[in-house]
Order: sequence, then C-alpha cells, then structure tokens
Amino acid sequence: MSDGYKIIQQVYQAKKDVDASDQLILNYMPFIKSETAKFLKRAPEKNDDELSIAMIAFHEAIINYSFTRGAFLKYAAMTIKSRLMDYYFKERRHSHVISLDLPIGKEEDTTLLDTLDDGKNHSHELILRDATRTEIEELTSQMREFGVSLEDVAENCPKQQRTLIACKQVLQYAKENPQLLDEFLQTKRLPMAQLTAGSQVDRKTIERHRKYIVALLLIHTNGYEIIRGHLKQIMKGVTA
Amino acid sequence: MMSYIVMGCHPGYVILLDEEGRFYKAANLQYEVGQTVYDPILMKELPAKPKKSFNFWLKSGFAAAAACFLMFFGFSYYQNYLVAYSSIYLSINPEVQMDLNRQGNVIALTGTNEDGQALLEGYDGKGKDKVTVTDELIDRAIDMGFLSEGGQISFSIDAPDDVLFQEYGTELRTNVNKHLENRMTVVVEIVDHRSGQSDTTQIEVTPPASGTNGSAGDTDYGPNNDGVTDYNDTDYGPNNDGVTDYNDTDYGPNNDGVTDYNDTDYGSNSDGVTDYNNTDYGPNNDGVTDYSESEDDDSDSDDDNDDDNDD
Repeated sequence: MSDGYKIIQQVYQAKKDVDASDQLILNYMPFIKSETAKFLKRAPEKNDDELSIAMIAFHEAIINYSFTRGAFLKYAAMTIKSRLMDYYFKERRHSHVISLDLPIGKEEDTTLLDTLDDGKNHSHELILRDATRTEIEELTSQMREFGVSLEDVAENCPKQQRTLIACKQVLQYAKENPQLLDEFLQTKRLPMAQLTAGSQVDRKTIERHRKYIVALLLIHTNGYEIIRGHLKQIMKGVTA
Repeated sequence: MMSYIVMGCHPGYVILLDEEGRFYKAANLQYEVGQTVYDPILMKELPAKPKKSFNFWLKSGFAAAAACFLMFFGFSYYQNYLVAYSSIYLSINPEVQMDLNRQGNVIALTGTNEDGQALLEGYDGKGKDKVTVTDELIDRAIDMGFLSEGGQISFSIDAPDDVLFQEYGTELRTNVNKHLENRMTVVVEIVDHRSGQSDTTQIEVTPPASGTNGSAGDTDYGPNNDGVTDYNDTDYGPNNDGVTDYNDTDYGPNNDGVTDYNDTDYGSNSDGVTDYNNTDYGPNNDGVTDYSESEDDDSDSDDDNDDDNDD
C-alpha cells in the first residue's frame, strides 16, 4: 500500500473519530512545524500563535479534505499557508498597537503586561475557571449518556442565524413546558412530536440539529449555572 | 466584546461556546478548559453544501437541455427568418429592393429611387411572402399610375444559387401572369442580378384570347386579332430574330398543317397588305426566293430550299 493511499485512509478515519484526528495531528507535528517555519522563516516555538494556527489549519484540512482534491499533504500545506496569511493580514491592521509582551527597559524579564493592573482578582478568576471546568466536565459526561460529544455539537451547530433562532425557539418551548424536559431526561430522547407541534419549527430542522438541541436542552435542565450565565444573549431574537 | 468559554481542548484545536449559544472550533492558543477568552482565532468552515438532490440534477439537466434546444432552434430560427438570404429588385419605374430570408419572406423593403420610396410609403410588407408583396406592390403601382397597359416589370433576383434563382423567377413570373390576367398587358423581365443577364424570355402577360387557341388563331386581323402585330417576327434585316423559319411551309413533309390561305394579296382573301416589296428581283430583292409562295408551284419545298442554297 502506498504512503499516499495510507494517509488518505487515516484522514478519512480522522474525519469520523476525534481521537484518530488528534493522533494524526500529533503524528504530523514535524510537518506542521516545517510548514510554519516556511512562513515564519524561522523555527516556530511552542508558544507561537502561528504554530497553533497551523495546527488548527491541519485539523481543518482533515475535515474538509476529499480525495478529489489531490494529495492530502499538499492540500494541508496549502490550507496552513492560507490560514497563516489570513492571520498575518489580520494582525497587520493592529501593527501600530504595541504588544503587551514587549520587554520594557533593559530587563527582559519584565513585560509591559506585568506593569498593568488589570483590575481583576486573579485568585477569584482561577476559582471561577475551576468551577467552570467542573461544570463542563459534568455536562460532557451527561452529554455522552445521550450519545453526543462536544465535537459533534461543534460540527452540528447551526451556521445560519435563521436556523439558530429556530433552535432557540425549540429551547424556549421546552423551557415553558418542564414536563417535556423531564421526559427528555428520562427517555434520553428528544420528544420530537411535541417539540415540532409546540415550537412551530420544521421537523427537519430539529432532526438536522438534534445534537445541538440536545446540548442546549441539557444546559438548561439543572445545574450548569455558570454556563447558563454565560449564555446571556441566548434568547435574543426569539419571540416566545 | 463577545466572550467565549473554552469547553474542550484538543492538541490541534479547542471548542468554544459563545454568548449566543454557538459552538466553535478555534486555534488552541494555550487555552485551558473553563477559561473565558475574548479574541480567539476561529476555524473557518466550508459553508455546508447541501447534497445535490436528484431533483436538482433533474432540474439542471432540464435547464441544460432547454438551453441547448433554444440555442439550436434560436440559431436556426435566426438563420432561417432573420438573416437576408436573397434579394429581389423590383423595378417598374419605381425601384424597390426586397430582402428575403431563407423562407422567401420579406424582411426588409427599401425604395431605391424616389418613386420606389413613394411606392413604399405607408406600406408594411415585413413578414409577408414575396409573392404577396409583389402583388400588393404591383397593385399599388397601378393605383399610383406607375404601371399601365404595355408597361414593363423587371425582377432582378439576387440569389446565392442558381436553383433558387430559377425557383423564384418561375414563381414570380407565374404569379404576375396570374395576378394581371384579364387586366392588362405588361412585359415581365427576369434578370439574374449577379450575372446581369436577362432571362431568355420576356413574357407578355396578356388576357387570354377568347375563342380559338393555338397558332391558327394568331392573326393580326379580323375578330381573332390579338392586338399584337408581330411585325418584328422576321428572319431578315435588323429585326431578324436569328431563327430562320425554313420549315414554315404548307407543303411536303415539313408542312406544319396550317395552310396560310389567307396570306394573299389578292382576291377576297387579300389581307389588305400588298407585299410590293416582297420581290425576288430588282433592287428590292430580299435575297430569298419565295418559290414556295407561288400557289401554282407543286414542287417539293425541299427542292426549293436546295435552290435557295444554290443561290
């Protein structure tokens, strides 16, 4: 089996399987680094934004690749270059802004950022971050019971504003009818018929975004106060 | 500024949740789960392409077929109906140019002289058949006094090939013949516009002779007089039509079955025209010895001809 064919198989596997995708990215880190180095004209460091961008560009290449596009690595290299160029042009607009990471004076250890008081209570922030993480872990494990992963939700999330509003209408209707949420939690299935009839949203739209709606409904069942607090604008544009 | 919660971390990317409930994949700029970030680099996703349904292919196939159909038939329509393929220059005194499409229908009419423009004023012949237009123009010409008894109509036909020229020529001649039948006598001339050569015959559109038909009726006198005196039908002199009617004899094997008894200068059958000049002798000798005209002569006409030749 040729290498070209083998990598195409791996890519197609990675499209379906998150772990395989992560593994493929780790396996091809030297390639990603070398592509970044071509752009930066120097070896990238671990903290370089460019390297992170190159990595997500590689992931994007996995998602969007089709064997009709030719060799995968060429396609990935092209995607990486495009994303780095996008980033470069976006950053150039802010080139007149001084970086907070610039060292001040002769002492290289201190940066401009260190001299600023951001007005935040760092310890409070860290506590909040831990609490959020716990909530997210809980949500992720509950979602798993419903056969839904975060990656699924990210891919299943409505791209169009119209569809997003339709999904929120479904959520609104479910919130107004708590017995539906109870039924949902018990059966671990969306009460499709009631949601369609009650929310006036097309059944196909609900089916197409089932995973996203499951995540939304779970977030609004119990707990998850922090996440729910974050979603302050979620009901924007929804007419109850 | 929109804030995002980091929901999940992967080596290549993170999953973010924005305030409006959208989930995104973004570059992992050393983020941790639970962190709130403000200016992430979101992953670009190709806009989800809806799978093209059978219906779509059916529709596009239909559209393509329709386009081909239109192109093909549009072009052939254009070729057949809108492009000038041949022209007919009608000239009475008014001169009119008729441009025809492949179907022989008029697509443009132009008066090429002043009278022609006058003839066409207020007339629209577009889309009509050339024959109809010719008839209508002839009628107009008669009404306007351009064409009268004894006039001439000339059709100069500019056709890309000889077959079409012949076809149009015959058609026009027949049509004018029929159209002016019993109305007036005109001369119809068909000219090949390209070579400039006039067609071999000039046709006289005449009202049909009432009563007798055939050559016996072709007389310049009496009740069968056709009004046209064939003075010019002679084998001699400047009006010589190039055809010597040697065989026009009443006798022998070349006898044409029509005895010209009436062609005499004497007696009751005298035609009133005394052919004084028709003599074989003296200064008026026409060089043709009319042996056959002697009514007493029984000899064979062939012999006469031989004698002619000997002379």
